Parts: sequence; C-alpha cells; structure tokens
Amino acid sequence: MTRASRPRRTDAPVLVRRGLVALTVVGILAAAFELATERHWNGTEQLIPWMALAVLAAAVTLLLVPRGRGVPAARVLAVLVLGASAYGVLDHVLVNYESGALDERYSQSWDTLPALQQWWLAVTKTVGPAPTLAPGVLGQSALLLILASTGSTRRREQLKPASR
Amino acid sequence: MTTTTTRLLTTCTAAALALGLTACGGAAPPPAATAPASSAVAAEPTDSDDSATAEDDETAPAGAKVSANTASEDEIAAALESAGVSNPDRWAEEVVEYRPYPTDDPNLTKLRDNLAKYNPGQETTDKIVSALTP
Repeated sequence: MTRASRPRRTDAPVLVRRGLVALTVVGILAAAFELATERHWNGTEQLIPWMALAVLAAAVTLLLVPRGRGVPAARVLAVLVLGASAYGVLDHVLVNYESGALDERYSQSWDTLPALQQWWLAVTKTVGPAPTLAPGVLGQSALLLILASTGSTRRREQLKPASR
Repeated sequence: MTTTTTRLLTTCTAAALALGLTACGGAAPPPAATAPASSAVAAEPTDSDDSATAEDDETAPAGAKVSANTASEDEIAAALESAGVSNPDRWAEEVVEYRPYPTDDPNLTKLRDNLAKYNPGQETTDKIVSALTP
C-alpha cells in the first residue's frame, strides 16, 4: 500500500528533468510574449533575443532526441544563449546610460554627475527605457536547460548492455 | 550520484566561464552597437536626396519641417537643433530608429509614445514633433 502511494525513487530524477524542460519551454514562451508586446524589433540588434529564443527552442528539441544523442549540442546552444543573455543585460544598461542626458530630470546635470551615480541610475532604470535584467530570463531558461541535461543521459547504464 | 555531481559542476563551470568571456568581449561593442540600427537607416543616400529636394533643409529657414519618415538623420538633427531641442543628434537617432510613422497622423503619435520612454518632458517632445512631418 505504502509502496503504491509513493513514487518510486528512480522516478524522481526523471520528474525533475521533465519539470526543468517544461520550465524552459515556459520561459521561452513568456520571453517571446514579452518581446512581442514590447515590439522588440526596431533594428538588427533588437532581433538578437528572437534569435536566441529560436536557438533555445532548438536546444530543447535536441535535448528530447532519444538516447541523449542531442545533449552535447543542446548544451552548446544553451551556453550560446547564456552569452546572448549576458550581452543583453550589458546592452540594456548601456542604452539607459546613454539616455541619461535625454531625461528632463537630468538633462542639465547629467554630465556633472559622478560616474558611479550615472551607472547606478542606468542600472536601476531610473533613466532610459531598457529593463536591465529582462534579458536575464533568457539566461535563466538556458541554465534550466543545462540543468535538465545533467543526468539526462545515463550513458553508463545505456552503454553497459551494448558493451557486453 | 558522484558522476552526476561532477557533471553538474563541470556544466556550471563551463557556463560561468562562457559568461565571463562574453562579458569581457561584450563590453566593447555595445557603444557602437547602440547606434547601428539608426545609422544604417540614416546612411541611405536615396532618402537623403529625396528629402533634400523636397525639404531643402540645408538652406531652409529656422523652423522648417523635415520628414520623420524620409529625411536623413543629419537632416533631422539639423531641424531639431533649429527648433531649440537639446541633444539633437541623439534625438535624431531615436526618430530614425522608430520608423516608419503613419503618414495620416500629423501629430506623430507613434513617435510621441516612443519618445515618452526616455522621459524627455512635454516641452521637449513638442519641440521635436514641431520640427517634423510624417
């Protein structure tokens, strides 16, 4: 009775892995929705996150290839998305920083502010239009995918019958 | 269990390394990368020529309007400067970036909405729009 009501111990990693993959897919869809509502397609640079989402979707597909054959490629793609995410965060901070002089509250005083304060205002989006950490969602989803890929291929277990 | 932990650690280390490398390499390009979207559009010689014949803002008196859709970035900056807008070059970049604008909206509502993200204030927005036509 007790055994039947509890999940088997071997099922837990599988459930966690599936959950991580599901969260990755949710992250992709949520980021796509957010980008679409922000009309994030003014110029080539604003298309980078769209490309990163496509790459991440491809990575998810690779992760689901039977026998874990696509896992290495999926990890490489996920790391690429991590890089794009980091670039996005830096770029958003820079866009905000460069917009400081356009803000009516700081247009007269921006050049006289200490550099540290200028960057703080940019990072906190007090000036500028770009949400600083929003691109981090891409990185978070990529990390979830990498975590999902960990232990997804029980190579030893799979290879044992073949090697015998 | 040990294998999984090792894999996890290796993966996280690789990710952190990639992030670090990207951060180091990404520090340089962004300043140039923020401009290309607008500069690429502004580099179109046909737009410049068209608007030059239509608006002739190089020789136009102060207050002459230029097209937000077809004028070059330099022409828009000149028009904004003559309208008394501070940071005209920077604002001209933004005007070009958010193209195209509906030709049936002389109030340039789309431009106003996008400029509002920068919190320029009503006076500056009005000055910018006053120097432009759709």
